[in-house]
Amino acid sequence: MTSWPALLPLAILAAGALILLVFEAFLKSRNKAYQGYAALAFVVSSGAVLIVAWDRDWAFFRGSLRLDNFGILLGLILTAAAAFVVLLGLRYVPLAGSNIGEFYPLLLFALSGAVIMLTTTNLLVVFLGLEVLSVSSYALAGLRLHDEKSSEAALKYFLLGSFASAVFVFGLALSFGASKSFDISALFKNLRPGSGTEVLGLAGLAFLLAGLAFKMAVVPFHMWTPDVYQGAPTPVAAFFSVGPKAVGFAVLLRLTAPLLGEGLRDDALHGLLTVLAVLTLIVPNLAALRQTDIKRLLAYSSIAHAGYLLLAVLAGDPEKLVFYLIVYLFMNVGAFAAVTALCRKDEERNTIEDFAGLGFQSPWLGALFSVFLLSLAGFPPTAGFLAKFYVFSSAARAGLVPLVILAVLASLVSVYYYLKVVVVMYMRPAPRATETDVQSPALLLVLFLCLYGVLQLGVNPGALMHLIRRAVAVLL
Amino acid sequence: MIPASWFLALSGVLFALGVLAFLIKKDLLLMFLAVEVMLNAANLAFVAFARRHGLLEGQAAVFFIITVAAAEAAVGLAIILLVFRRKKTVKADEISVLKG
Repeated sequence: MTSWPALLPLAILAAGALILLVFEAFLKSRNKAYQGYAALAFVVSSGAVLIVAWDRDWAFFRGSLRLDNFGILLGLILTAAAAFVVLLGLRYVPLAGSNIGEFYPLLLFALSGAVIMLTTTNLLVVFLGLEVLSVSSYALAGLRLHDEKSSEAALKYFLLGSFASAVFVFGLALSFGASKSFDISALFKNLRPGSGTEVLGLAGLAFLLAGLAFKMAVVPFHMWTPDVYQGAPTPVAAFFSVGPKAVGFAVLLRLTAPLLGEGLRDDALHGLLTVLAVLTLIVPNLAALRQTDIKRLLAYSSIAHAGYLLLAVLAGDPEKLVFYLIVYLFMNVGAFAAVTALCRKDEERNTIEDFAGLGFQSPWLGALFSVFLLSLAGFPPTAGFLAKFYVFSSAARAGLVPLVILAVLASLVSVYYYLKVVVVMYMRPAPRATETDVQSPALLLVLFLCLYGVLQLGVNPGALMHLIRRAVAVLL
Repeated sequence: MIPASWFLALSGVLFALGVLAFLIKKDLLLMFLAVEVMLNAANLAFVAFARRHGLLEGQAAVFFIITVAAAEAAVGLAIILLVFRRKKTVKADEISVLKG
C-alpha cells in the first residue's frame, strides 16, 4: 500500500531547510529573525501533518517509511523539541554574531533525520536517518566559529560520532547476514538457539546497541556528552540532550519489541542492557557532583536520565518510557532555556557562579529554573517525580528490585547537585550588577510552556497516558 | 572460486584494525581514516553476505554507505580544517580546552 502523504512531514522539513539555505545565501539582511519564524512555520506544519496522520498508518516505499502511531507520537516529541529550540534561537542567534545564519536550516535537517529514524522499521533506513541527524549535528555543534570551545566540541562529536556510526553499520552488516533482511523485527527470530546464526545475530545486535548507546549517551559510550554540550551553542545543546536520546530509545524499543511482552527475558540482551543500566546509573551521578559548569552538569544529568530510561526498557514497559521521554523534554528544555536567558552579547555565561543571586535579581527566572531543576531531581508534585515513580514501580513489578534500589540511591545523589545550583541562586549575593534581560517573548514562551508541561503532567497525566497507550499498541 | 567466508574473515580483520587504529592514533586525519576503514569493512561484509544469500539488498546497502561516508567526510574535513586553522595542529592531544 502506497500513500504519498507519508512523505509529507519529511518533505516539508527538507524543503524548508533548503529554502532557508538559499535565502541565507542570497539575502544579505543582517536580521536573521525571518529565518527563525520561517523555520518555526516549517516545524509546526510538519508536526500538523504528523497529527493528521494519526491512526491512518500511511506507508511509502513498500513500508520503508511508515507513519505508525508510535513513530508519530515520538515524531511529535522531536518536533516540539525542535520548535522550542527554534524559539530559543530567536533570542540566542542575534547575540551570537552574524555567522550563525545556518542554525535554522541545520536544525531542520537534524529534525528530518530524526523523523526518518522514527518512522521506519527498516534498519538501513534507520541508518540513513541516523546519518542525516548526526552529520547536521556535527555542524550545529561547531556553529560558533569564533569560539575555540565550539570547534573542539564539533571535532570531538564528529570523531566519536562517526566511529559510533561505523560500529552501527558493521552491526547492521552482521545482522543482515544473520537474518537475511533489514527488517527491524526479523533480527530476534535468528537469536533463538538452534537457528545456526545466533552467534552472528548476537554480535550484530551488540554492535547495533553500541552505536545506539552512543546516541542515547549511555555509559560507557558517553564520553563525548559533557564536552559537546559545553562547547555547543546552548540551544543546540538543548536539542542534543532531547533529540538523539529520544530517537535512540525509540529505535531500541522497536528493536526489542518482539521481547517486550515477556518483560525482556532474552538472557544475552538482558545481560547487556543490565550492565549498561548499572554503569549509567552510577557513573554520571558521581561525575556531576564536581562540575562547575552548568552545561556540563546538565550533560551528566542527561546521561543519568538515560539510565532511568534504560530501566524502563529492562522492565519491558514502553508506556512509562515514552511518558518519561515527554516529561524529560519539558524539564530539560526548560532548564536549558533558563541557561540561554543568561547569555549575553558574544558571551555565554555558563559557570554555576554566574547564577549567584539570580533568585533575587530576576525572581521569575530563578523560580522557573528552580522548578525545572527540582523536576529533574524528581521532587513531587512535578512531572519528574511521577515519571520516575512510574518507571521505578514498573521495574519493581518486573522483578528488578536491586536495580530499582540502585536507581533510587542514584537519584538521591542527584538531588545534591541539582539543589547546589538552587542554593547558589538564592543563598549567594550577586558578584556584580548582572542584568538578565528575559524580555525576549520567545524565550518566555518556551519557559512557560515547559513549566506548564512539567506541572500539568505532574498532576494530571491521564490524558497523555491514554495517547501513549494507543501509540505503543503498535509495538506489542 | 573464493568462498564468501574468506571475505567475511577479511572484513572482520579490517574492522578490528580500524578500531585499533582509531584508539591508538593521535592524529585527527589518521583517526578519520580509521573510521573509513571500518566503514569499508562493513561494505565488504555486506557484499559477502549478499553473495552468500543471493540477495541484492546487501549490494544496494553498499551504495548508501559510500554516499553517507562521502557526506560525513565533507563535514568532517571542514571541521578538522576549522580546528587546524585556529590551533595549527592536528594532534588530538593538543586540542583539550574542554575537560573535567
